[in-house]
Amino acid sequence: MKAGERIVAHAVVPLDFTYNYRVGQYIERYIKALGEKKIMAVKCQDCGRVFVPPRKICGTCNRILDEWVEVGPEGTIEIFTIGHVKLNKGLVEKIDKPSIIAMVKLDGASSLLPCVINGLDPEKVKKGLRVKAVFKEPPEDSLFDLDHFEPVG
Amino acid sequence: MERKVAVVGYAMTRQASDIGVPRPIMLFELVKGLFDQMGITRDDIDTFVLCSNDFQCGRTISNVFEDTPVGAYMKDETKVEADGVMAVMYGAIRIMSGLYDTALVVGNSLGGSEFRPYLIMDYQLHPAYDRQLGILNEPVTAALQAKAYMEKYKITEDHLNKIAARLLRNAAKNPFALRGKEDATPEYIASSEYLYEPLRELHCYPFTDGACAVVLASDKRAKALTDKPVWIKGFGDSIEGYFLGDRDLSWSRSAKVAADRAYRMAGISNPAKEIDVAEISIKFASQEPIICEALGLFPEGSGAEVADRGLAEIGGEMPVCPSGGGLGAYPFSAMGLIRVAECAKQINGEAGDIQVKDVKTAVAHGQDGFCAQHNAVMVLSSEEG
Ligand SMILES: [Zn+2]
Repeated sequence: MKAGERIVAHAVVPLDFTYNYRVGQYIERYIKALGEKKIMAVKCQDCGRVFVPPRKICGTCNRILDEWVEVGPEGTIEIFTIGHVKLNKGLVEKIDKPSIIAMVKLDGASSLLPCVINGLDPEKVKKGLRVKAVFKEPPEDSLFDLDHFEPVG
Repeated sequence: MERKVAVVGYAMTRQASDIGVPRPIMLFELVKGLFDQMGITRDDIDTFVLCSNDFQCGRTISNVFEDTPVGAYMKDETKVEADGVMAVMYGAIRIMSGLYDTALVVGNSLGGSEFRPYLIMDYQLHPAYDRQLGILNEPVTAALQAKAYMEKYKITEDHLNKIAARLLRNAAKNPFALRGKEDATPEYIASSEYLYEPLRELHCYPFTDGACAVVLASDKRAKALTDKPVWIKGFGDSIEGYFLGDRDLSWSRSAKVAADRAYRMAGISNPAKEIDVAEISIKFASQEPIICEALGLFPEGSGAEVADRGLAEIGGEMPVCPSGGGLGAYPFSAMGLIRVAECAKQINGEAGDIQVKDVKTAVAHGQDGFCAQHNAVMVLSSEEG
């Protein structure tokens, strides 16, 4: 130890400690549908909004959401950002090829879905661009079955 | 308010990327210093409200190591896990209940040296959805929020650079801030690297260590404790739903609801006129116009004009964050508390080089969550009224 250097105790909090969250019927049904190349959402029978990913409660109306509807698989880019970095356990790391992360309004949905857009030059991304879902083949029964989005046509 | 509550004392540490002492020592020196300066002891404090976060401290029940350093040993003590403005609200409400006449509110965070703020924020993501996918993180969400506002109201990156440059210039005059630059220009900000467009490194908060302590007192006790009580005239808070895709990110509905509650309680009908200075909690330069507009300090969508005309400068029409705000330092749990203390400094004419002229009424704002999901607003004034 050099003069003036302080002793630091590295108290390791087990951030890799596994919590077994039950995803619930809603995300389960969403994942199952992704395997059939379908994106399922829930509609509020009071306010009429369609939420994706599906969840059980409408905050505005304080009621259970129980009407299932299919949305997408095409949609429109509403907001996007071009990433020049990625985070690795909270640390910022530069990446060679910029990424596109967008909030996509799937056809038939009221809420926006955070998505990765592939197959598009970041210079060409813009609000209003039509994109479509690309599913994993064969499906693996996980959220990753909705792999990414790419431009339509 | 039936029972009035005032800020009667405040102190903060220098905000640093590494404060250099263990948390208990930092808290002891801060609070003991404040007690000595006020000529009181811990016996004068009826209730203690601590503001820190288990996950940020890396242990459960973070306050167990904080109560003794702040003088709460064997006293009435409670904790707020969210932002410091919420902790001050909680302290004020405890006094308003009539059960207590004084409260010490202390917030602290060691995000500069002890934990990784962006990693901690990852653990706020929905565990069964967003955290699994790994698409979102804090700067991504902030960039999306920035784009939503900028596209709607035709704000350019140059305007963001102006906001950030102003805050860094202010921070350079604030001896407590961590990051400042006396001659910061929009070009200087633009020379920093992009993280997620439009956000560059210098648009983002610096990872910060720091703590702040505020003493509150009822009207019965306030005047015995200070010649210059700063009255808490109103407060409000509000929280939006978690899912970003459900929210219109081009404005902050919950900040507006929180502000409306605070203003109604304070009897303020025209905030842009009646408020002399604002200290808001922003983590990214792009959040400043969104929060200011929700708080009614500037008209909707006016971010470009405010930046171009320098309306938020220390000498401007509506000075915002003379301290440098979140770009000067962002010690998580202490952040909102520092905003309250900065407002009190301004009202008491104790702000030195960052003093705004003739401040009677000030507004403090705190936030928590992605894209300011949770907001709290507090109005402070020199007038007991
Ligand atoms: Zn509804």
